[in-house]
Amino acid sequence: MQKYSVFSLVKNALSNHENWDLAWKDPTPKKEYDVVIIGGGGHGLATAYYLAKEHNITNVAIIEKGWIGGGNVGRNTTIIRSNYMHDDNALFSEFGMDLWRRMSQDLNYNVMFSPRGIINLAHSDAQMNTYARRGNSMRLNGIDAVLLNREEVKEIIPMADFSDNVRFPIFGGLMQPSAGTARHDAVAWGYARQADDMGVDIIQNCEVIGFDVSAGKINGVRTSRGDIKAKKIGLCVAGSTNILAEKLNMTLPIETHLLQACVSEPVKPVLDKVVTFGAGHFYISQSDKGEMVMGGDLDGYNSYAQRGNLPTLQHVLTEGIAMMPFLSKLKMLRTWGGIMDMSMDGSPIIDKTHIEGLYLNCGWCYGGFKATPASGWTFAHTIAQDRVHELNAGYSLNRFNTGHLLDEKGLGTKTWIS
Amino acid sequence: MLYIKCPHCGMRSQNEFSYGGDATIKRPELGKEISDQDWDNFVYNRKSLRGKHWELWQHISGCRQWIKVERDTATHEIFNTLKANEEISL
Amino acid sequence: MTQNFRLESGGLINRGKKISFKFNGKNYFGYEGDTLASALIANGVHLIGRSFKYHRPRGFFGAGVDEPYAIVQLYRNGETEPNIKATEQELFEGLEAKSVNCWPSVNFDVGAINNFLKIFLPAGFYYKTFMWPKSFWYKIYEPFIRKAAGLGTASIKHDKERYEHKYEYCDLLITGSGPSGLASAYAAAKNGAKVILAEDKSRFGGTLLTSDVNIGNQSGKEWADSIVSELKEMSNVTIKNRSQVFGYYDHNMLVMSERISDHLPKTKKYHPKQKLWYIRAKEVLISSGSIERPIVFGNNDTPGVMLSSAAKEYMKVYGVLVGKKPLIFTNNDSGYETAIEFKKNGINPIILDTRKEPQSEIIDEAKNMNINIKNSYVVVAAQGYKKVKSADIAKISDDKEKLGSIENIDCDCICVSGFWTPTIHLASQSGNKTKFKEEIDAFVPGTSKQNEKTLGAANGIFTLEETLKDSFEQGNRLSKKITNNDNKVSFPNVVEKKSAVHDKFWCVPLPKGKNYKRFLDFQNDVAVSDIEIALKEGYRSIEHVKRYTTLGMATDQGKTSNLNGLQLVSKIENKVVPAVGHTTFRPPYTPVSIGAIVGREVGKHSKPTRKSPMHSWHEKNNAVFVDAGVWLRPRYYKRGDENLFEASKREAKNVRTNVGVCDVTTLGKIDIKGPDAAELLNRVYTNAWLKLPIGKARYGVMLREDGIVMDDGTTTRISENHYHMTTTTAQAANVLSHLEYYLQLVWPELNVNVVSTTEQWAGAAIAGPKSRDLLKKLFPKSDVTNEGLPFMGYIEGDLFGVKAKIFRISFSGELAYEVNVESDYGYFMWEKIIEIGEEFGIQPYGTEALSTLRIEMGHVAGSELDGRTIPYDNSLEGLLSKKKDFIGKRSLTRKAFAAEDRQKIVGVVPLDKKTSIPEGSHLVKDSNAPLPNPKLGYISASCWSVEHDNPFSLAILKDGKNMIGKKLFVMSPLKNKVIPVEIVSSHYVDPKGERVRS
Repeated sequence: MQKYSVFSLVKNALSNHENWDLAWKDPTPKKEYDVVIIGGGGHGLATAYYLAKEHNITNVAIIEKGWIGGGNVGRNTTIIRSNYMHDDNALFSEFGMDLWRRMSQDLNYNVMFSPRGIINLAHSDAQMNTYARRGNSMRLNGIDAVLLNREEVKEIIPMADFSDNVRFPIFGGLMQPSAGTARHDAVAWGYARQADDMGVDIIQNCEVIGFDVSAGKINGVRTSRGDIKAKKIGLCVAGSTNILAEKLNMTLPIETHLLQACVSEPVKPVLDKVVTFGAGHFYISQSDKGEMVMGGDLDGYNSYAQRGNLPTLQHVLTEGIAMMPFLSKLKMLRTWGGIMDMSMDGSPIIDKTHIEGLYLNCGWCYGGFKATPASGWTFAHTIAQDRVHELNAGYSLNRFNTGHLLDEKGLGTKTWIS
Repeated sequence: MLYIKCPHCGMRSQNEFSYGGDATIKRPELGKEISDQDWDNFVYNRKSLRGKHWELWQHISGCRQWIKVERDTATHEIFNTLKANEEISL
Repeated sequence: MTQNFRLESGGLINRGKKISFKFNGKNYFGYEGDTLASALIANGVHLIGRSFKYHRPRGFFGAGVDEPYAIVQLYRNGETEPNIKATEQELFEGLEAKSVNCWPSVNFDVGAINNFLKIFLPAGFYYKTFMWPKSFWYKIYEPFIRKAAGLGTASIKHDKERYEHKYEYCDLLITGSGPSGLASAYAAAKNGAKVILAEDKSRFGGTLLTSDVNIGNQSGKEWADSIVSELKEMSNVTIKNRSQVFGYYDHNMLVMSERISDHLPKTKKYHPKQKLWYIRAKEVLISSGSIERPIVFGNNDTPGVMLSSAAKEYMKVYGVLVGKKPLIFTNNDSGYETAIEFKKNGINPIILDTRKEPQSEIIDEAKNMNINIKNSYVVVAAQGYKKVKSADIAKISDDKEKLGSIENIDCDCICVSGFWTPTIHLASQSGNKTKFKEEIDAFVPGTSKQNEKTLGAANGIFTLEETLKDSFEQGNRLSKKITNNDNKVSFPNVVEKKSAVHDKFWCVPLPKGKNYKRFLDFQNDVAVSDIEIALKEGYRSIEHVKRYTTLGMATDQGKTSNLNGLQLVSKIENKVVPAVGHTTFRPPYTPVSIGAIVGREVGKHSKPTRKSPMHSWHEKNNAVFVDAGVWLRPRYYKRGDENLFEASKREAKNVRTNVGVCDVTTLGKIDIKGPDAAELLNRVYTNAWLKLPIGKARYGVMLREDGIVMDDGTTTRISENHYHMTTTTAQAANVLSHLEYYLQLVWPELNVNVVSTTEQWAGAAIAGPKSRDLLKKLFPKSDVTNEGLPFMGYIEGDLFGVKAKIFRISFSGELAYEVNVESDYGYFMWEKIIEIGEEFGIQPYGTEALSTLRIEMGHVAGSELDGRTIPYDNSLEGLLSKKKDFIGKRSLTRKAFAAEDRQKIVGVVPLDKKTSIPEGSHLVKDSNAPLPNPKLGYISASCWSVEHDNPFSLAILKDGKNMIGKKLFVMSPLKNKVIPVEIVSSHYVDPKGERVRS
């Protein structure tokens, strides 16, 4: 494979950029693979990459209904963090942070991981205490966290509302300095390019029609491009999980919801942190291009529509202005929606299933992007070894039955408000 | 913004309602023995269909009645709305 | 300054009113009715800004919303706004604007070095480099790139402008006031339909303002004017200019943004800057017209290269010449119309037509005017850096592949027409699956998805007669459906010139040995070569191409670039355009200010504020308030220099020793009535409710179905079938919905009604050993003795003529009562309590003292009932009835919920009895253990015990049941604290609960 570097860029420039290699090929599906990953999103691509890299399993196909990276990995607000309270979530995410820090070099693809820090704003002493509980938990888990008072927050983000004309004054915040953002598309493309190079077949425009299951074992998958045999199949389809589960006669603790995001027109650098509002649900960062990237609540009813409604955005942006009044003068440029696999406790599932050889990776709610490397890594492990790794042991499917829930927000099963 | 026909009040904008999830889930009878699987199916497991979906809404800023709405989860088209005491025919 | 490019006469501007303005520090003037763009062009200013990536000079490209270039920083009335399109901004007296994305100036821009490095900066270059050394991306490269990117500058000042919202219902919403919009609106209005007609620009009429047509013996503009003035007179018509319908949402909800004050030097008092209209329309007619698309050629981004329709608009609407030596480059007849307009104004244009031998009325007219026409000719490249100086042109072969010898001709502008792209955004947003129409090389709406119809040019119909016919008919038909009227409008006689078919040519090949940049996306600097690289590297889906190259992602959202991008991809991939498919259209059609989307809910009004009837008393008595959801509650009452800690200690102590009063109005209250009320309670609460006597209250806990505690509170049996439920402040609304859910859907057989009475009652908790003495004086006629009103008893009393409910319940753990009166008497009640309580040493206490009192009693509240705990965790397992089923009971048998070492609430006391324990700390066995250090539990609430005069905390601790007496460490790494503690019972004061019964 061509290595990307300044030298390769210069060299190709001098040959008029006519000699760049394909980032990934476009193979026709083979009849059989050792492993088939369904879903060419970030998690699926990462899983294939780690199967090849960590477990030397390269006879792998990723099958994708549309084009790779077209789902949530290309529709998120690019935030990467590990500021979780529950140990299972925290240790898993922090493992992911390590992978993020090395990702550009590992993949030889600049994913622009930018550890600019995230601040969760608090608007009461009670909220400061809730954040302290989470921050202390992070620290005891070896994750960086700093509790900021009002003055400290003001120094870092003076554009937040510190005036008297504010409904919920800022009391302080919890900061994870090592959190940040990355270029979302690049993550998908970088994993795809390396996986492809190690022999993984990336098969786009290939829709799953059904599964071949017999005697409790998976044998293969039926697709719009023919039947493909595999003894191991990983399901990694986020918002489409329920659709495929139906084909497997499985009913999962997952509901599908729409999350919108929007960007403003690009402006010169004004905000260099990721900031979340504490008196509602709003988060913001500024992209390298200069756009303010913003998001918040779900549209609030089951949806596969990938199109959102304005009242939700109005609500989200109302909180945006409450937090940073200067946003009022910016213009909303682009909006989009992503389909979220909302689990009943807000935490994901990476596990084996009752069908031998069928593995499940879902329930990411709106936290899937940051989990891409760790999810791929642990899912690859689970598939390759046919057992969960200790990092994803807490993400079991039967935790809903046993009561070992991982509810970061304490909102329970009302997925549409969580 | 959805436009929902409340069977009691008529056409109203979505912001008068709050959502209540899958309307086909039936609460198990009180006091009745029930398997773990059935209980989990009630509490946690959801089909979350793509396409026609019977779901609950409450006309929270109106008559406060819970209603059943048949909506397409891919297009948001609403086909039917029922009062709480009207049975869904699937 | 003289306006060298202003025509002597003509245009729709008001030459009687001069307007002065400033651009990049220099003074200019224009006329009323100018846009900033037209006024600048009139003054000969063509260099406006710099492009996003290469910092190439940028001028004007269009005359409206499609403008990719002319983006400025606007200064208005002491405020500044980034990213204003000069083509949209109307001129006002004193307007100031500056170029963006250039430093130090638009004329000399350091960033333009990128232009010379552009060969090294192809599509996706940043994915391939800036990776070494590892830390440099964030520390060195990224800050540099961030600084170079962005357009204008956002002021971080608060926005003082006001934005309003309006909700409207109509029969027909018509988006755009061109021929199709006016005709359909007129027809519908004549049928009595309620019509809203929205026009984005300041002038109504759309293309009628610039096209040379005749309708009913009037010019297009005259006809438009007469229709508009008639519509304005009709009471069933709302006609709005400066109003962009930018989003088509579900169930025929459209959203329009009206610019009310942006064209004025300053917003008038009590006026909004903008107004957002939510419009629910029965029918929608999309009459948004079309946008001319460019032809791609070398250096086609040089200032002076612009759309031919824009050049015509500048002449006809603004009386401005975009150049004096124009070159018209066209593949259709539209370019001729522009050329004819130049000629009429004494300018000699040259037309390059890619077609070989086109014939039409318009072409004949141009020929008759002796306009120089070169057929089968193309512009190969524009020459000139900051402004077009000349053009390299060449003959092109019939197959459009080979160029003849290059000639260079002088020109100062190149007006391009590559035919028209229907504006299908709204139709597509509605869910309409668009289809590709071969004849016009563009997408048009397909089958209607919602109640929308697309008319005229937006539907790919480019002749006026057909447009008007269809529009009159649709306007009539759709309104007839609604109003049942059928007032047909007589169809006017239409005179328009016939056009020849256009040439499906959109991109000029590169001449041998030349490497001109041929731009597709002008703002994001995406060139043909970038798309070629993307495809070569396997980014083949149109979404991959878009994301890899950023094609169509600039602030113009690809209005002039997307279709050419598609053409290019389809050509290289050897697919037809519809097989490549376009990326999805999403709202907004044009950028909308966030202020307008949000409206009035800003500042203090971003969320409602709820206040109790006693709020003003608290204010007068130095209360410091705390937000409890949207309620404001007194946190403490400040005396002198007291701080929170001192004041709350004093208040709590006073409750323990004398008597205190606390405003508990915010608690949720639900009235429950009906013969099955007890049965409902019995199912909702975990404990038994069937035998509660009249006049008695009971504490209850309710669960969610997943077994987690949802809420707690007391419910009192007022009479046989009447109960009064209280909930926590936070859960009031949820509990009501919860009850309604079960009553309406699950147990409709229960004959019970529930209604919220939170607002109906003002509540005061009177707590402390002297509370009964006070109560006796407040209610002299009532028997409030321990026998007359025992613990958990309820009576009704007369508070100096005001009916009151008296509950003997206690959250503080002291002898206590809660008195409720109707809200209007709340203030009266409070004053009486304070006045009469004086002799008993009464003090009001706030939520902080309330917390202290409940914590040292071991009473749980929101910080324990955090949506993750079950009754056992809160030592509430005694309230779980074994005899009956209740909501959530089945879940409590889950393995983790029933585990032997399950977490449980405990008390925590520092060994030194001095060090306060920060809330949110964790309990560990070994404070020096390596990380991750296993956590055994967390501190949920802390206080300074006024009873024991030392710190005391509650914690939820793993295996808490067996931990009493154990020594652990509290750790708060955030605060750098390690505190050795002892685990004690959570009931730190009066463990037997004697005081409440005393």
